[in-house]
Amino acid sequence: MKFDTLVIGGGHAGIEASVAAARMGMKVGLVTMDINTLGRLSCNPSIGGSAKGHLAKEIDALGGVMPRIADASGIQFKMLNTSKGPAVWSPRSQNDKDLYPLYAQNLVLSTPGITIIPETAEEILVKNDAVTGLRTASGEEIYARTVILCSGTFLNAVMWTGMTNTEGGRVGERASHKISDLLAAYGLEKGRLKTGTPPRIDKRSIDLSGLTPHNGDEPPCPFSITTKRVKNWLACWATTTSEQTHDILRTGFDRSPMFTGRIRGAGPRYCPSIEDKIDRFSEKSSHIIVLEPEGMSTDTVYVNGFSTSLPPDIQEAGLRTIPGLQNAKILRHGYAVEYDFFFPYQLTFGLETKAISGLFFAGQINGTSGYEEAASQGLIAGINAARKVRGEDPFVLSRSEAYIGVLIDDLVNKNTEEPYRIFTSLAEYRLLLRIDTVYDRLLPKAHTLGLIDGSIEARWRRSYEFRQRLSSLTETTKIQPAAANPVLVESNEDVIPETTTLATVARRPTVPLRRLLDAVGVLSPTLLDEHNDDVVAVQTEIRYDGYIKKQRRDVERFALNEQLNISSTFDYDRVSSLSTEAREKLKRIRPQSLGQASRIPGVSAADVSILTLYLK
Amino acid sequence: MTTLPTSDTICARATPPGIAGLAVIRLSGPDAIAIADRHINGRVSPNEAMARTVHQGWWMDGDVRIDEITYVVFTAPKSYTGEHVVEVSCHGGYFVTEQILTSLIGDGARLAEPGEFTKRAFMNGKMDLTQVEAVADILHAESRVGARTAAKQLAGGFTRRLTETREKLIGVLGLLELELDFSEEDVEFVDRTHLRNSVQEIINASINLAGTASSAEVLRSGFTCAVVGFPNAGKSSLFNALLSRERAIVSDVEGTTRDYIEETIHLHGFSVRLIDTAGLRTSSDAIEVQGMVLTRSIIEQANLVVIVNDVSQGLHASASLVDELTRQVGPFDAVVVQNKSDLLQSELSDVGTNDLLVSAKTGSGIDELRDLLYDRVKVSAEGISDVLVNARQAQLLQQLVVCLRSVITGMDEGLSSDYLAVDLRAALRILGDVTGEVWDPDVLEHVFSRFCIGK
Repeated sequence: MKFDTLVIGGGHAGIEASVAAARMGMKVGLVTMDINTLGRLSCNPSIGGSAKGHLAKEIDALGGVMPRIADASGIQFKMLNTSKGPAVWSPRSQNDKDLYPLYAQNLVLSTPGITIIPETAEEILVKNDAVTGLRTASGEEIYARTVILCSGTFLNAVMWTGMTNTEGGRVGERASHKISDLLAAYGLEKGRLKTGTPPRIDKRSIDLSGLTPHNGDEPPCPFSITTKRVKNWLACWATTTSEQTHDILRTGFDRSPMFTGRIRGAGPRYCPSIEDKIDRFSEKSSHIIVLEPEGMSTDTVYVNGFSTSLPPDIQEAGLRTIPGLQNAKILRHGYAVEYDFFFPYQLTFGLETKAISGLFFAGQINGTSGYEEAASQGLIAGINAARKVRGEDPFVLSRSEAYIGVLIDDLVNKNTEEPYRIFTSLAEYRLLLRIDTVYDRLLPKAHTLGLIDGSIEARWRRSYEFRQRLSSLTETTKIQPAAANPVLVESNEDVIPETTTLATVARRPTVPLRRLLDAVGVLSPTLLDEHNDDVVAVQTEIRYDGYIKKQRRDVERFALNEQLNISSTFDYDRVSSLSTEAREKLKRIRPQSLGQASRIPGVSAADVSILTLYLK
Repeated sequence: MTTLPTSDTICARATPPGIAGLAVIRLSGPDAIAIADRHINGRVSPNEAMARTVHQGWWMDGDVRIDEITYVVFTAPKSYTGEHVVEVSCHGGYFVTEQILTSLIGDGARLAEPGEFTKRAFMNGKMDLTQVEAVADILHAESRVGARTAAKQLAGGFTRRLTETREKLIGVLGLLELELDFSEEDVEFVDRTHLRNSVQEIINASINLAGTASSAEVLRSGFTCAVVGFPNAGKSSLFNALLSRERAIVSDVEGTTRDYIEETIHLHGFSVRLIDTAGLRTSSDAIEVQGMVLTRSIIEQANLVVIVNDVSQGLHASASLVDELTRQVGPFDAVVVQNKSDLLQSELSDVGTNDLLVSAKTGSGIDELRDLLYDRVKVSAEGISDVLVNARQAQLLQQLVVCLRSVITGMDEGLSSDYLAVDLRAALRILGDVTGEVWDPDVLEHVFSRFCIGK
């Protein structure tokens, strides 16, 4: 068998990689141990959330499949952070754990050009430092120009509950050994990471009386531009831990595998396990727990906020102190998985390994955590595998263009010691990377790449043109005090004494643009209803015009430093005044520009100034 | 790629030009010792000389003895620049130093650019950016207090203060980012009053720090006193009277424009620059001020204006002079000295209460004038603590305050935190620019351009 692109692994990265490469005309082979595990939600039954929702929207704008599957299998939809400002509004869905993989399989099977190969990849074939294919566990050799490795947590995987461990990347699925060792033999440096998941409990054992329901938004908003309508089916339920819970959990700390290897200094931003929360925020007497149903036809409930690898007896005793869970029946205990990953500094920005031409890595193998992070990388790797086959330059998104750009730039430069998760605070140009700008930023690129069909592009163009029109209308349309003031009074804003432009009034932070438009009667309510999201997007642009312009200027300055190229053969050893740490890091990562060099931790401002003198 | 910036050896006079007993010439770079070795003829040659120890010898140009010298060898990296350094003390004056420098340049060394020694020290990791600026300040320091403060900054005091501010700022930003990055279900909103207070505290600290800049200017450049009066008012004798007590004439520099004369006196460790504004003339009884552009600029820049009047000619001249200058320049801080009190036949009844009655000739009233000047200098230098802020840093700190005030305004207007974070991040970047933590080549250019040759 011979393919253009082989994708190893059918998780969220593997699916996006396969579909993107196939859409770009590649003959794709998707190697997965079991077709039924394709697109499985192995941790929380949810897509999106803070910053992850941004990634999901970007995947949609680039023609990816995750947002469509999430919409199709969604049982609850919510826009997070609406009280905190448009840059951090982020969509999230609860999903049916059984439906999600079904829709994923359906989508993969219906994409022309993808062949499913139900095998275990045992070895990657390399000749003259270039990948040539793989050998399956049954000894068959499959050839390809490019190979994308999306093996998730399965490389040398070990699962932990308390101090007991078993081999395997996911409950009931075995680990993969050979590939990891083989890549290490090619000089690729690997490390070890851990991730965890909370216990699952039986819905019928929960006492819902007294718990707070968390409902979806009405009307619910889908992820994808291609989805017409979604529906909320089920509620989640919120409860809290107490001091009593914390005391019980603390008694198991000496048997916690996460604790012995947990990372210090990562700050309070990223707290995945309940034991970590208790340890780091000892002053907090309670933490929120959200009970999330895993689907419409299952009684399994995901205990969000209670990720743990404490021993089973402690997990159970702790859970039972939580209101509503006094009689909780645990269906599966929480556990941690320990697995191999490869330090991502060994990749190009196109996610190709520098050591082996044509070999791409995407997902947890690069040290990331999360479905959306994995899918983003899969998409980029799939695109670039296709471009490699065609002999084209890699497709790279910059930090100022997309969260995906931030994610990959961070991976290559920063070499985090903990699983990398996306945050909005990692994006310098957060105000520009809002979800309402996502299609403007990325859809035209995806269309050029052949990832988006014409009808979707046309739909975006309609929205774009409407926003342009509305924007200039607000500058030219006058509003009289008689029309504006009732709206202003309603929003507790000072009234206007004389006629002024719509834009001037709409700049007030709490005045809804839609109400002003209705008061003036400049566009028909039907049209405005149809373009509700567009009106909100224009409102954001008007209100925060000054800040947005400020960030655009910052982007220009940023771009200048990105253009100061450093030759790939630059001899850092000749620069005796560099600190030893900086020299080691620079030699290892080999930044393409001075801007990139300045983002490498360990390379100080002084080191960068020294480099400028050499590059002049 | 250009050549290695540290691959060549540089030399320059490290002491100011002019007539002096001794001059020091500094040589730095990989060939410093070798080059010195070829020119120094002593009991020990530089090649074998024990480092950081003074040695005696003759400076040779071929077979010709140029000067008897002492020299110290500093081997890399234990030197000011982090490279091999040789410092040669020779006799002062133009001729000898010029001969030595010429022989060095003839042997492959290059004349240093302004600030190049310090630039090399910075590039070799010998000091951070604020320390580099402190060196510039020591070189420019006109007063002992200034030199002490600059020395403290060199030891990292300023960096520490900024680091504290930076940590506070990171703390505030961290709280906001935490709130932004987690959903409402996971984290509570940060108490806005607490946040506002913290930002206000940082603003106050920054204003404080920036405010020391004008005081620092007094310490660095000395307190400037414009002395204004008609040619016959006795300014020179007043200068001499002030100077004779101190017996420490620092300089007697004629202004480059030759339109004013400057002298420096020292008062209890503070230097005071006395500038005689030439160009005041009278024609009949109308005051005609010539070269007013220069006089105006001197008065505007002065910390204090001393009006000198010949009291024996009456009080009207000084009174109308103050009026005329105020009309032309605007209000300024002035002290009126009624000179030549010895010529007065009788007590004057209508001398202004703030006027000082002085006789430069007899010395009467001079101590009072000195005390008055000292009081003014002290007031100007007040507020200075352990840090010395230069103009660039003060400007950045002011920008910082603008950013943070915009945060406060934003909070009061109810702006969401994603927008507040933009200004807080900008503030952090500015603070980084002060210490050089954030890379910005313009900052470096600016700092290095302040150095004179030899340092």
